[in-house]
Amino acid sequence: MSNTQAPVRRQSGRLRRGLASLGWALAGVLLVVVMWELVKVIGSLVTLPLDTGDQAMPHVWTMLQGAMQPEVRGSDTTVLQAVVSATLRSLLVAMGGFAIGVAIGLLLAVIMQRFWFFERGLLPFVIASQTVPLIALAPLIVGIGNRISIGPVQWNTTYSVMFIASYLAFFPLSVGALRGLQAPTATHIELMRSYAATPGQTLRKLRFPASVPYLVPAMKVSAAAAVVGTVVAEISTGVRGGIGRLVIEYAREMTASPAKVYVAVFGAIAVGLLAAALVAALDMALTRNLPKEHSA
Amino acid sequence: MGQRLRLIWPPVVVAAVFLALWQGIVVVNDIKPYLLPAPSLIFTSLFDNVSGVFDATVYTATTAFLGLMIGIVIGTLIALLASRFIVVNKLATPLAAGLAAVPIIALTPILNNMFDITSRTPRVLVTIIIVFFPIFVNVTRGLTQIQPAHLELMRSLNASAGKVARLVRIPNALPFFLTGMKVAAPLSVIAALVAEYFGGPQQGLGARIASSAANTAYGRAWAYVTAAIVVGLLFYLAVLLLERLVTPWTGRARSA
Amino acid sequence: MTTTVTSPAVKAEGVWKIFNEGQPNEVTALQDLNLEVGYGEFVALIGPSGCGKSTLLRVIADLTHATRGTMQVAGLTAAQAREQQKYGMAFQQAALFDWRTVRRNVELPLELQGVGKSDRAARAMELLEMVQLADFAGHRPWELSGGMQQRVAIARSLAVDPPLLLMDEPFGALDEMTRERMQNELLRIRKETGKSIVFVTHSIPEAVYLSDRVVVMSPRPGRITDIIEVSLGDRNEDTREDERFFEAVTAVREALRGNHGGGSAIRSRIGEV
Repeated sequence: MSNTQAPVRRQSGRLRRGLASLGWALAGVLLVVVMWELVKVIGSLVTLPLDTGDQAMPHVWTMLQGAMQPEVRGSDTTVLQAVVSATLRSLLVAMGGFAIGVAIGLLLAVIMQRFWFFERGLLPFVIASQTVPLIALAPLIVGIGNRISIGPVQWNTTYSVMFIASYLAFFPLSVGALRGLQAPTATHIELMRSYAATPGQTLRKLRFPASVPYLVPAMKVSAAAAVVGTVVAEISTGVRGGIGRLVIEYAREMTASPAKVYVAVFGAIAVGLLAAALVAALDMALTRNLPKEHSA
Repeated sequence: MGQRLRLIWPPVVVAAVFLALWQGIVVVNDIKPYLLPAPSLIFTSLFDNVSGVFDATVYTATTAFLGLMIGIVIGTLIALLASRFIVVNKLATPLAAGLAAVPIIALTPILNNMFDITSRTPRVLVTIIIVFFPIFVNVTRGLTQIQPAHLELMRSLNASAGKVARLVRIPNALPFFLTGMKVAAPLSVIAALVAEYFGGPQQGLGARIASSAANTAYGRAWAYVTAAIVVGLLFYLAVLLLERLVTPWTGRARSA
Repeated sequence: MTTTVTSPAVKAEGVWKIFNEGQPNEVTALQDLNLEVGYGEFVALIGPSGCGKSTLLRVIADLTHATRGTMQVAGLTAAQAREQQKYGMAFQQAALFDWRTVRRNVELPLELQGVGKSDRAARAMELLEMVQLADFAGHRPWELSGGMQQRVAIARSLAVDPPLLLMDEPFGALDEMTRERMQNELLRIRKETGKSIVFVTHSIPEAVYLSDRVVVMSPRPGRITDIIEVSLGDRNEDTREDERFFEAVTAVREALRGNHGGGSAIRSRIGEV
């Protein structure tokens, strides 16, 4: 009897904990807002090493007003609408890059797990590549992309952005997935051997399910990397329509309308949070049958 | 010494073979430099401009180093507070998790406006914020994830809270701190580099990569990229060295 | 001084331990428990999981407080005894610090007492000689086998030369052969030092082999159901084959089966041991 009730209680406990930490997160944001305004007040009284004027640091309410104003004088779209559409576009590109990165990362992890030769040969470079600023290649990759076409499909700079997002996403994922695929204990593997299971069956029935607890944190890192890759690639390449480009454009208009760039930055933050939320939903779906007490 | 050598030579051989193949493919297929310059072109560009590359490297590495050091101090301090005061923990944990998911680098133009854009300050600040998260999360974990038996032992020995902190919590947190450093050090280089894409002084690696690429000087752009990769590796190796020195007891199961 | 000689090593009077008292998930871990451990006596606490034997040990050690009743250790309150380091403790996990060498792990209690560097090094070496690990003084704990780690932990529990040793299933994680060797080792140390020992275990033969008295406990609520005297004299490897040893094992087993509090599930589980 208690068995049937336990999962329900666990789920509601999870929900309650989630709501509680959401409350704390909101309190944290409120704290940041209060500190922002406090710095402005202090700055007006004594000289600080930063510009606390309304142009560099507009009031929080000025930012909100700025969001509702037309994007350019006389246009129908407000700043908010422009930012929302750029946010969604960047999110789409980032998630596209994330999906490609996850697919390639998983494939690579399976190959490395299956053939020791590839693990020995590739893994050091996969790890080393996490320590080097690959993002430095972004301007060059776009340069390459602009000059190639595959058959009738003309390469689009958006593909370059997605490509950059995907290669940033795949490194953390392949390392995490490999660790997960290698997670089953010797006992589990011997059990599968005793059933005369094929390598494919062992992969499907044992290694994939066992890798989920490793996969989920790797996906969180990958999604964040894809978002950073997207935003930076948009900035360093000037691809239009995305939030990265909008941040740069609005930053140039800062003297005229200081609030705009803040709205765009919030858009960039929203891309990250939305991507994280999508991964969290994926996490819920993947781990709903697993005990939740790993961290305890 | 012989052991060190045995650790170092396989990746060196692999890298040499990789470079040779790259060179061969570019030469045989006559690949244009804008697609992929040959390693020889990258190296000649590097040596033609060695002082320029060196200056840009020093500039960006300095930004990264300053941001890393200050970020480590702030991250550690807040982690210490969070392990001591539950309110700090509750406030900081979701904010830190949010920071990890968000492209912090997009804050650069705002910081450029608030602080002197012609100085290094905004870039260092962005680096600090980016470095903060891995340090905070790992140090908090290390200070709080103590074996219950260790705490019981210390209580059975009548140890004060200060003694528990000094003899158990801090040594326990050190390997976690270094794990955070291993993530933070490469991130600091990336942050310092990318922050240069948002305008401001042009003498760093990021700015040079962007301007070389814009001027179709691909060999030079790749030379700067090479320097950036070297800086990233050096930062990481420095942390590995520090780990050997500070936590020799973790030698057994570094991967775990 | 005279009080410490006349008063027992441990004296529990009407000790209750209730977790979450007054809440729906209230658990009575110890119910009206009375126990006396004499000087130089070796007492084993045995019983199924949840019978409160570890809780009892923790109340003696002042790692947790009795809800009601009094616990005296060497004529002092449990808290005073802990503050004055009247006992040493060993846990199921050796709980050694990876960041210290073996010798420095043994030194830890002395360090906390403010003993000088050379004195505590000398004492630690003395203890490592006793547990036959002097050659490993400079090693890191993780370089040692489980049995060796547990010996280091025992040496550490003896560092301040306390009159009482509290041991919470210290050999629970070891294999049977190592376990028997450790039991002999512990008996030798006991003989050399004359310590009083309270020893928690799951193993009937272990309890019988080591102790002068086996305290049998039963769960829900945790209480003492039987106390079995074991008089086997000096133990050696032949003792394990001795008729009287088997008789004592049978007596403890029957005492455990006689526990009605846990119902048939407990009884059959004990039967399998």
